Amino acid sequence: MEQIKITVNGIEMTGNKGETILNIAAKNGVEIPNLCYSPNLKLYGACGLCLIEAEGMPKLMRACSAVANDGMVLSTETERVKKARKIALELIMSDHEGDCVAPCSLNCPAHTDIQGYLKQIALGNDSEAVRIIKEKISIPASIGRVCPHPCESNCRRRLVEEPLSVAFLKAFAADRDLESDTPFKAVCEESTGKKVAIIGGGPAGLNAAYYLRLSGHDVTIYDAMPEMGGMLRYGIPEYRLPKDVLRKEVKAIADLGVKMQNNVKIGKDISFDEIRKNADAVLVTVGAWQGSSVGCKGEDLEGVLSGIDFLREVNMGNIPDIGKNVAVVGGGNTAMDACRTAVRCGAENVYVIYRRTRAEAPAEDIEIEEAIEEGVQFLFLTNPDEIIGENDKVKEVRLQIMELGEPDASGRRKPVPVEGEFKTLPVDTVISAIGQKCAPAGFEEIELTNRGTILADATTCMTNLDGVFAAGDATNKGASIAIDAIAEANTAAKAINAYLLGMPMDFPKPYYSERKVTAEMLADREKKARAVMSVKAPEYRKNNFESVINGFTEEQAREEAKRCLECGCHDFKDCKLIRYANDMPISPERLSGAKHECYKEQKLVTIERDQGKCILCNLCVRTCKENAGKGILGLVGRGFRTVIKPEFDNPDTVAVCKDCHMCADLCPTGALKILG
Amino acid sequence: MRIVIGEGSCGIAAGAGKVHKAIESLMTENEVFTLGSTGCIGMCFLEPIVDLYDGKTLLRRLVKVKASDAENIVNCARTGDLSLVDSITISKDDEEFLNRQTRIALRHCGLIDPVSLDDYREADGYEALEKVLKTMTPDEVIEEIKISGLAGRGGAGFPTWFKWNAARQSVSDTKYLICNADEGDPGAFMDRAVIESDPHTLIEGMLIGAYAIGAKEMIVYVRAEYPLAITHLEIAIEHARKANLLGENILGTGFSCDMRIKAGAGAFVCGEETALIESLEGKRGMPRLKPPFPAQKGYMDEPSNINNVETFANVAWIMNNGGAAFAAMGTENSKGTKVFALTGKIRKGGLVEIPMGKTLRDVIYGIGGGIRDDKEFKAVQMGGPSGGCIPKDLLDTVIDYKALGATGAIMGSGGMVVMDESTCMVGMAKFFLDFTALESCGKCVHCRIGTRRMQEILTRIVKGEGKEGDIELLEELCEAVKDGALCGLGQTAPNPVLTTIRYFRNEYEAHIKDKKCPAKECVDLLTYSIAEDKCKGCTLCAKKCPAKAISGEVKKAHIIDSDMCIRCGQCVNTCRFGAINVD
Repeated sequence: MEQIKITVNGIEMTGNKGETILNIAAKNGVEIPNLCYSPNLKLYGACGLCLIEAEGMPKLMRACSAVANDGMVLSTETERVKKARKIALELIMSDHEGDCVAPCSLNCPAHTDIQGYLKQIALGNDSEAVRIIKEKISIPASIGRVCPHPCESNCRRRLVEEPLSVAFLKAFAADRDLESDTPFKAVCEESTGKKVAIIGGGPAGLNAAYYLRLSGHDVTIYDAMPEMGGMLRYGIPEYRLPKDVLRKEVKAIADLGVKMQNNVKIGKDISFDEIRKNADAVLVTVGAWQGSSVGCKGEDLEGVLSGIDFLREVNMGNIPDIGKNVAVVGGGNTAMDACRTAVRCGAENVYVIYRRTRAEAPAEDIEIEEAIEEGVQFLFLTNPDEIIGENDKVKEVRLQIMELGEPDASGRRKPVPVEGEFKTLPVDTVISAIGQKCAPAGFEEIELTNRGTILADATTCMTNLDGVFAAGDATNKGASIAIDAIAEANTAAKAINAYLLGMPMDFPKPYYSERKVTAEMLADREKKARAVMSVKAPEYRKNNFESVINGFTEEQAREEAKRCLECGCHDFKDCKLIRYANDMPISPERLSGAKHECYKEQKLVTIERDQGKCILCNLCVRTCKENAGKGILGLVGRGFRTVIKPEFDNPDTVAVCKDCHMCADLCPTGALKILG
Repeated sequence: MRIVIGEGSCGIAAGAGKVHKAIESLMTENEVFTLGSTGCIGMCFLEPIVDLYDGKTLLRRLVKVKASDAENIVNCARTGDLSLVDSITISKDDEEFLNRQTRIALRHCGLIDPVSLDDYREADGYEALEKVLKTMTPDEVIEEIKISGLAGRGGAGFPTWFKWNAARQSVSDTKYLICNADEGDPGAFMDRAVIESDPHTLIEGMLIGAYAIGAKEMIVYVRAEYPLAITHLEIAIEHARKANLLGENILGTGFSCDMRIKAGAGAFVCGEETALIESLEGKRGMPRLKPPFPAQKGYMDEPSNINNVETFANVAWIMNNGGAAFAAMGTENSKGTKVFALTGKIRKGGLVEIPMGKTLRDVIYGIGGGIRDDKEFKAVQMGGPSGGCIPKDLLDTVIDYKALGATGAIMGSGGMVVMDESTCMVGMAKFFLDFTALESCGKCVHCRIGTRRMQEILTRIVKGEGKEGDIELLEELCEAVKDGALCGLGQTAPNPVLTTIRYFRNEYEAHIKDKKCPAKECVDLLTYSIAEDKCKGCTLCAKKCPAKAISGEVKKAHIIDSDMCIRCGQCVNTCRFGAINVD
């Protein structure tokens, strides 16, 4: 056969005369994007992604169909070509309706593959589930117990009845894995010889250490406290997170070769400079350990504590004398931890003073519920006006009665004092749990934000110092939930790895297609109630620090995991469309408009069709006709309203389907799904 | 005397059938005059038209004839007293409409009876065919066409000889010659007129083409919305077969070729040659990738040549008169004549055939008589949805493929829609995008989704919901769709948008920034109010208002509740004092 030579992107290639440009490029390792091409089908040329530029040709040409001529000089990456490809992708995406990733994952700060591990739990593969979880979270048994689970708030199952119990399922799988004889253990890359020092062994520090170690770096965590775990160890009460569970997870990280040094205070036991000198990169994850004071007269009296100081002391085994009557100020999770811990410390009357109502309280509802069960008295719409002491010791607290006024910037109704209305409460201890602050000490060279937290780059987590990164509660917006710290640590680990290997620290936000789903669209789903976690009786649990929850039974867990609607696209990992969409920054929203009509899914024996995801590449129609010899599917309608349906819109044609799956195999998106 | 009634679709629509019946009903058994019909005379603005002939001599052309004129016409025909029809005789000024034209493709239109082979033969019909078959080789035919400079009249303007030659060079026992009569541009009706009025011209032109490329089968793909054209062509084919002008061994020359009609279901995209072929094959009308070109692999994967009706309509004339005579007309790169369907806000609308090289002003003012109702000329849309608009200051642009292309418009198939000051150019662009978005076949991404997005943006602009950056976004989309669409439909769909932005950007800006429609056509942007000093309180507008949005007491100034107002404009038309303000 006669040979010809062409140049693609400066690379000289040889091909056969009569061959298309796309084919020659592919054979020579250059992929020209395409969504409607298949070597086994007649040329079609619909998607427009393979447009390329040829020297001396005024018009762009379709590489899938253009036959190469000897001596052609072609480019697949010029500005003009990229612009054409970008707009083609944006057009396709603007009419593509599907969820690449389930809303739970999308709303998990760490973007954990929740659908993926729930499936494995449903199938009974706990170790595989843990492997998936540990792609993002190195301490799942701990996180599963304490996470306020934004995933569940966004679980689409809530449109059917109730969200899945995602967090507890994660803890279930992780517990089973920890207890198994062969717990999951990731394999570390070969040593890079690079050293990373991590200051602070809380969730952020531990997580970053895990992934940096897996990347082959030599990681040491320095922590000021006697044990690793940070706020998980010293902030979260034992009854919510048994420290043994945390210890096991910390040990698993240490077993990978992460060095851990406790009782090391920066600036005291070792200088920051020395740490920097001995490491190729430093990550600061020191957390936010300073409680905010109540902010009223009398806050300096003996018997006034901050919530986190109180919790830390208890967690260290030093149960302070808090007396019989304890007032906890605040409505968040720390306030709940503090009041329930106070109950367990023997206080007889524990009050929660909160200036708004229960509806506005940021604490998890279950925490409030369980606190009430344990006898905690909630004084909503009250605010400490003055803490009154006797002999410098707290005696009582005067409360200003509040009412809700106009909504504030956060949308919550603003509490305003009811003039002249007060109430006095006799108390021995006042615990202030209205927020935490970061007070980084020993790192004077690091630039801070105006709120006193460490200023770290949003994409790379790098501080103003070269090679010094920061993540978690100590940075930028300050204290938040553990999974946020985990997510930031993942970003930091990625950035540090790139930094150490001299790669670009450029992590574009991935593009995902998202679908709007309403309850009506899920009306046909069978209703299955959410699994109820068994908990210890309030009368029993209020006297000790034993775990409140008993954990799911295996049967419960498997059934609960099966409730997952599998919202995320089954084809996400193989989807050509999303791969191309993420190869370049696209913004389909600028072209947003009507979407083609999505008919009810139509099954082809064992293939489910999702019109929303269909991009009309017509591969299914063509392979059914040309390769399978059936012609079951066809294009119906004209213009924008064109859809793929049984040929001539006649459902009877489906009867001919022999279930060969050729269509589903060729589908470049997740529009066709093989069932079972 | 002969009475001949123009009974093309346009004449019939204007009432020619009623006139025909009325005259017929007055005729006696041994009538002294005859009554016949012809096709489209080309003066839509004067329909129905009745011609009075003495033999071959036109005595009178009667215009805007009504059934009630029948008696006078019959009496005139019986007595020869032409003064009886003075009141309905065409004016000198209107006669200029035809006098200023040079008719080649339309040379028989309105002159002969379309369904009479004798009429056609009397007018030199089939002489060219006989000459070609008996004295010329196919290569000589192609050479003659090359000399003529004839280019495809369907819109693209590709040299006809080149296509014929490519099809001739393709080796195959079976070749097809196809006529594209799927005239889909809104406002274009040249092809319909030719087929309805002179079907044999098409048959003859096609036969010459078939001989040149070596085809034995000819197919006319004509839209089913042209029933009269189909009927006339069917009759003509039948007559031609009987006269051995179609079929085996034509005129004893050994050349055999037959013809059939395929009625299309009216998809605009089927005017694109490869989509047309798909449709001919019984498939969904969607364009194919080119190459291979139809000349290599066309209908049934055999070499095929496709030309437009008007192109074929020139062929016999060229063979009779010589390519050089054709080439003598026109400009350097555009030869011969071109037929335009002149419509819109023009005083005299109809079919205009003029030599290339004349200016748009010649057509619009010289022949069309300028703008209706003494309004200002604003722009002319050339080439329908695939073309673009040409504004007032480019009226002296010559009719030439290159010169028209330089304006952003195209020669197109001949649609020439004239717009006046009351036409909103954004609305105009939206009108065409509504059309192309609907008519897109749905195959390629750029056209299917791109035209839809453009249409959506235009829709929000005319509704007053346009956003800063919409013009730029439209321009970007236009360029992308031009570059990326698979066929001519998509590649040219942006033209109306691009040209209106190019020449009337200020109108776009007024809609987006000021939420005003300068042409006062976009109803969502209009506010109706009553000028207190002019309103006499006659209450007429309030009575007329279908939305009951106008209130007021008798003899006192009325007011319009703009929330209730549906901006129908009834009040403006009703008010005798000019008291309604529209902003």
